[in-house]
Amino acid sequence: MEKVLSRNFHHAQPLDLATYRAGGGYDSLQSIFGRDREEMVNELRASGLRGCGGAGFSTGLKWSFLAKDAPRPVYLVINLDESEPGSCKDRQVLYRDPHTIVEGVLASAYIIGADKAFVFVRGEYKVGAAKLEKAVQEARDAGLLGDNILGSGFSLDIDVHLSAGRYICGEETALLNALEGYRANPRSKPPFPAVKGLWGQPTIVNNMETVCHVPSIMHKGAQWFQGQGQNGGSGTHLFQVSGPVKNPGVFELPMGVTARELIYDHAGGLLDGRKLIAFQPGGSSTPFMTPDQLDTPMHFDAVAKIGSRLGTGGVIIMDDTICPLKYTRNLIEFYARESCGFCTPCRDGLPYLVHLFDKFELGTATAADHQTILELCGLIGPNTHCALAPGAVMPVQSALQLFDDEFKKHIAAKGCSYS
Amino acid sequence: MSLTEHEIEHLREHIEHYPEKRAGAIYCLYYVQDKYGYIPRASLDEVSELTDLSPTQLDELITFYTLLRRRPVGRRLIRICDSISCYTRGSEQVLAAAKEASGVEFGQISKDGAVTVLPSICLGLCDRAPAGLVDDSEDLGELTPEKIRDLICSY
Ligand SMILES: NC(=O)C1=CN([C@@H]2O[C@H](COP(=O)(O)OP(=O)(O)OC[C@H]3O[C@@H](n4cnc5c(N)ncnc54)[C@H](O)[C@@H]3O)[C@@H](O)[C@H]2O)C=CC1
Ligand SMILES: Cc1cc2nc3c(=O)[nH]c(=O)nc-3n(C[C@H](O)[C@H](O)[C@H](O)COP(=O)(O)O)c2cc1C
Ligand code: SF4
Ligand code: FES
Repeated sequence: MEKVLSRNFHHAQPLDLATYRAGGGYDSLQSIFGRDREEMVNELRASGLRGCGGAGFSTGLKWSFLAKDAPRPVYLVINLDESEPGSCKDRQVLYRDPHTIVEGVLASAYIIGADKAFVFVRGEYKVGAAKLEKAVQEARDAGLLGDNILGSGFSLDIDVHLSAGRYICGEETALLNALEGYRANPRSKPPFPAVKGLWGQPTIVNNMETVCHVPSIMHKGAQWFQGQGQNGGSGTHLFQVSGPVKNPGVFELPMGVTARELIYDHAGGLLDGRKLIAFQPGGSSTPFMTPDQLDTPMHFDAVAKIGSRLGTGGVIIMDDTICPLKYTRNLIEFYARESCGFCTPCRDGLPYLVHLFDKFELGTATAADHQTILELCGLIGPNTHCALAPGAVMPVQSALQLFDDEFKKHIAAKGCSYS
Repeated sequence: MSLTEHEIEHLREHIEHYPEKRAGAIYCLYYVQDKYGYIPRASLDEVSELTDLSPTQLDELITFYTLLRRRPVGRRLIRICDSISCYTRGSEQVLAAAKEASGVEFGQISKDGAVTVLPSICLGLCDRAPAGLVDDSEDLGELTPEKIRDLICSY
């Protein structure tokens, strides 16, 4: 496996343009400029690249939804809002190798024929946004951005937008509202942004990591990319492991590496004396996996097959020192607080779930409360305006199944037996 | 309290590169906040004039987006993550120690004006849990109650 996204991470400082180019940076443009756009989108589809923002939608397929005679301007919007607990991959590239982002945006914009690109960066990554801005300026000065780039007839500028906070801004249509200067409430889909997006224009929204894979796929080919994965996965991915492990971190590994290799070989296994109870494979909105599923390949289809989601590939560990109910309560509280307030099941339902979990903690819960949690999840999940609330409910439903005995113990013992 | 001619010109230029003026509102509000530490009432009128949004419409944005504020904070603003990865590594204790060291409730300014402590959603520093951020620019990682107490006392 060749490192792609983290290939420059061994440098102490982000590379300036000259050093980045000396290492082969921006060479991919030679394989892209002048080539047929449709052919490139087909190659991307064949490569198996899937959205790294969490939903895993085929990138080539999404790009093919852009109508050939799409009304101008067409926008490319990069989602760098990364706020899903357990996810910390995009930050690494932003802070350590911003030219990789500029190259990925430029390559992708050329292929879809975008007139302008926006990079939407969460406000807490202000320092990283300044590093990216500096890389963009270097690229402008060198004629890699601007009018008629390298004589190709293609023109593009990149606008780095610093967001003002809130998790919901990462939902792609909420993000578009935020960019336009509205509150970040999601829009109805369809129409998908590819048809009607920023200022009503056709817009492709992609996660930062997704576009950073594009240059090397175009340069080295779809087959090369597939060969980078293993056990049925394509390409590499920036996996993350956090929680009570010895070596938490961000690791670029083949898509399809097993959860066991990731957690034990790369993240060093659990802290001494701790036992693995469960883990979330791809951020806080993903259903739990259990130790008997450690040999599952970490790629979208394999993780979906066992009833969870690969999400962002940010693995979070639950060990035997934390009460599974307390752990789950922390997840729901996050989503309750971050609800944008637009629809009732999410705005009112999630805080009520938190309240019910508190009863277990306080020792006032009854079997009826257990049943209410179950029913409430079923009512919230399918009835909301965006995927935030379903994402909040999924791990709760999974906890209800896995930790059924813990709920009962809390009722019987009138409280929590964990310290 | 008002923006200089030069500053207004800078903001106007920024707004111009969007098809609609209101898209520049967040940039303008951040600009004012960076200058004063918060967004005072008088600035709302100025930004209103630049963006064609009423002060109420601007307030709608400020009350929605968590990083914008209408009230001053301490000289250092410390955010401490309370989301799951940090929670499994002891953020509750870190937050409690930070509150105690500041001597006031979360969101309030400490008596000497030095700090404001705020719980935060995941900061993208999960690999360094429990994590925090000072003035939205300085990362804190592998926090302990002792470390945060010492840090706050040093300000
Ligand atoms: N990275 C992070 O920090 C976070 C990631 N997530 C992830 O977000 C995911 C949910 O995201 P959504 O955008 O709601 O998923 P989605 O499945 O609706 O869409 C995924 C992508 O495919 C596109 N798409 C899907 N069907 C399409 C069609 N028929 N035509 C054109 N485009 C189409 C969408 O526009 C979008 O860009 C969750 O799976 C979760 O893992 C959630 C929270 C935070
Ligand atoms: C509540 C919510 C928050 C999201 N936050 C992010 C985010 O921070 N970063 C991201 O790339 N995608 C996020 N997504 C997914 C986006 O809506 C969208 O699917 C993604 O940006 C598309 O890019 P991709 O196809 O390259 O993954 C979020 C989705 C939801 C429902
Ligand atoms: S599900 Fe929640 S976050 Fe999504 S639109 Fe409804 S209230 Fe807003
Ligand atoms: S969960 Fe604390 S920084 Fe991500």
